[in-house]
Amino acid sequence: MEVFLSSDEEDYYYYSDRDDALEGLDVEEDSYCQPKSVASCQVITKESLLIAQREELHRVMDLLKLSEQHARTLLIYHRWDAEKLIAVLVEKGKDQLFAEAGVSMVEQKVDFSLQSSSTIMCNICMDDIPAKEVTTMDCGHCFCNNCWTEHFIVKIHDGQSRRIRCMAHKCNAICDEAVVRNLVSARHPDLAEKFERFLLESYIEDNRKVKWCPRVPHCGNAIRVVDDKFCEVECACGLQFCFSCSSEAHSPCSCMMWELWTKKCKDESETVNWMTVNTKPCPKCYKPVEKNGGCNLVSCICGQPFCWLCGGATGRDHTWSTISGHSCGRYKEDHEEKSECAKRDLYRYMHYHNRYKAHTDSFKLETKLKETIEIKISILESRESTLKDFTWLTNGLNRLFRSRRVLSYSYPFAYYMFGEDLFWGEMSKEDRELKQNLFEDQQQQLEANVERLSKFIEEPFESYAEEKVMEIRMQVINLSVVVDKLCKKMYECIENDLLGSHQSTIHNIAPYQSKGIEKASELSPCWISKADDSDAFLQSVSNIQGGTTEPGWPSSSPNLNGNGCSSRKRARKALGDGLFDLNLPA
Amino acid sequence: MVDFARVQKELADCNRDMAISGVSIMLHGNGNDLSHLSGTITGPLATPYEGGTFQIDIRLPEGYPFEPPKMQFVTKVWHPNISSQNGAICLDILKDQWSPALTLKTALLSLQALLSAPEPDDPQDAVVAQQYLRDYQTFMGTARYWTETFAKRSSIGTEEKVQKLL
Ligand SMILES: [Zn+2]
Ligand SMILES: [Zn+2]
Ligand SMILES: [Zn+2]
Ligand SMILES: [Zn+2]
Ligand SMILES: [Zn+2]
Ligand SMILES: [Zn+2]
Ligand SMILES: [Zn+2]
Repeated sequence: MEVFLSSDEEDYYYYSDRDDALEGLDVEEDSYCQPKSVASCQVITKESLLIAQREELHRVMDLLKLSEQHARTLLIYHRWDAEKLIAVLVEKGKDQLFAEAGVSMVEQKVDFSLQSSSTIMCNICMDDIPAKEVTTMDCGHCFCNNCWTEHFIVKIHDGQSRRIRCMAHKCNAICDEAVVRNLVSARHPDLAEKFERFLLESYIEDNRKVKWCPRVPHCGNAIRVVDDKFCEVECACGLQFCFSCSSEAHSPCSCMMWELWTKKCKDESETVNWMTVNTKPCPKCYKPVEKNGGCNLVSCICGQPFCWLCGGATGRDHTWSTISGHSCGRYKEDHEEKSECAKRDLYRYMHYHNRYKAHTDSFKLETKLKETIEIKISILESRESTLKDFTWLTNGLNRLFRSRRVLSYSYPFAYYMFGEDLFWGEMSKEDRELKQNLFEDQQQQLEANVERLSKFIEEPFESYAEEKVMEIRMQVINLSVVVDKLCKKMYECIENDLLGSHQSTIHNIAPYQSKGIEKASELSPCWISKADDSDAFLQSVSNIQGGTTEPGWPSSSPNLNGNGCSSRKRARKALGDGLFDLNLPA
Repeated sequence: MVDFARVQKELADCNRDMAISGVSIMLHGNGNDLSHLSGTITGPLATPYEGGTFQIDIRLPEGYPFEPPKMQFVTKVWHPNISSQNGAICLDILKDQWSPALTLKTALLSLQALLSAPEPDDPQDAVVAQQYLRDYQTFMGTARYWTETFAKRSSIGTEEKVQKLL
């Protein structure tokens, strides 16, 4: 048996002589894909958006005995963070919670529409308006319906649908969404629909814990995470992305590093840089001329000699320090340092980029391996053999993909960790060298083992004798374990030894997920089934909202009781737990 | 569409008590365009603007009064919240704090109040604001000098002068 690692790593390498450690490794690793009791991320589809939003709305409606629209106003103000909303409630009280968010509840409003004979002066159009054509908002301010409609239209066009404030100067109250809906739809049905959609999509766009899937063209889904905003997720459409910055999954690179890296890779300036370091235009024919050798007198193919440092045309005779008939004063090496520096930066970048690219390229090639492996498995399965279970192979392949990813993103990480852009001033030279050695050792170990794993998986073992296949099986299982541990160790090293506590607040890095990036689960089935009549549900709510002038929970609605009962119970329970938590000593 | 019925009422209402309020509004340059107006405010007492008359160019956007009017000083003025270059004004009610319940008159009165109480922490003109905060005496002198020079002649003379300066 070969020994792959130096002796000090043996403690977590070969387990083959300890059967108990291998126990269970053949078990289907991908079983995590099955719905779990607590999913850490969920996919919100066009169909389940309303349902997802209602969960949060009902929590707040139940707790504060509020109508849906007031709950929505509060939640939009607090970016759909019910926990924060409750914290404000506990800390500052109900009145301030409402006032800040623009929820106003007047005990009894003067209802001008009852005095149908009189007219009211509208302060906006400055006209006398029949009492039945004015509307009083919850804050008590009354203007004519025409002016309200005009105001709503301007605000919706402005993209301010989610927080349309009252027209009165310095009134912070948010307009009743039912009034907006009714008045706008009378004049501008399209815009009323837009308003409705904006309200609904607020749950995604104003929500810290929900993000649109960044797939282009858009798959229509959004992802909701439970608590960790710095994680990597997989949408139902299959796209994996960094939840925090919405670009491709890039750990162990931080979002900031990744942004800098992609910009750098795209940046033409690197090539421009190369050109300025390595070529200069000829002063006669303007062709770029490359310098060869150390001498600063260069000759263009047109025959023109010139000074490399200032670019000026010169004669041919020269020594190490002078050129005949030319004295730019720079000839003596003073520019050398600067261009050396640029060259060094460029080489450094190329070093990291080449390795990053090599692994990304391997990753792309290995993706094709998946089909090959399936064929191999079916061949092996058809053979007369005691070996029937090939999960070790699919597990090994998945491990290869995951670790390849980690490896490739570890290069841009290292580029920034040990480069001048981000941490230069924060480490001493010795400290940096120490850390760099530590990291590179780990990186090399991982790299070596990933390549070995790749080699074994690619072997044409479907034609091997069973004994040989069993040996490969052992290798693949062992290497899978080693590679997983090395990945984990690398993330730990980054978090504990490299970034340290204060830097890790800026450079949040998605945690290592041994089982791969988590697939967002569907919203739980009991909610989905209710989504079927979501339109009717929304309709019924809007009817209630439109029909009542009473603020507060429309408890008389048979529709809501019939439809939302269980959910409300559930929500109350969850909320109860939340409140209980608040009272626990910190 | 600008609500011209309202604008007309606003003009009548504003000019009724211009002697007391110190603000007035006319159509711009004797024209008949109700969406291009010219406001006038008198410099508040006990300020370096005292004795001056300041002209403000007013343009009403399509959505007026549901969108704020666009106002700009025509008379040159030395003030932290007004650009010494082009007369642009930094005032919240002319931006996101505008409410359709406000009027041109209330906006002009707010400008008058702004002349009395500059807000150097939210400046339009950084140079003036720096001077206001670091060298108040020089600021007062310059503001007074600008009032003398630009705000105390006939409005036509001022406009010519401004044209030259710009
Ligand atoms: Zn009106
Ligand atoms: Zn109000
Ligand atoms: Zn998607
Ligand atoms: Zn990111
Ligand atoms: Zn040449
Ligand atoms: Zn030479
Ligand atoms: Zn030279």
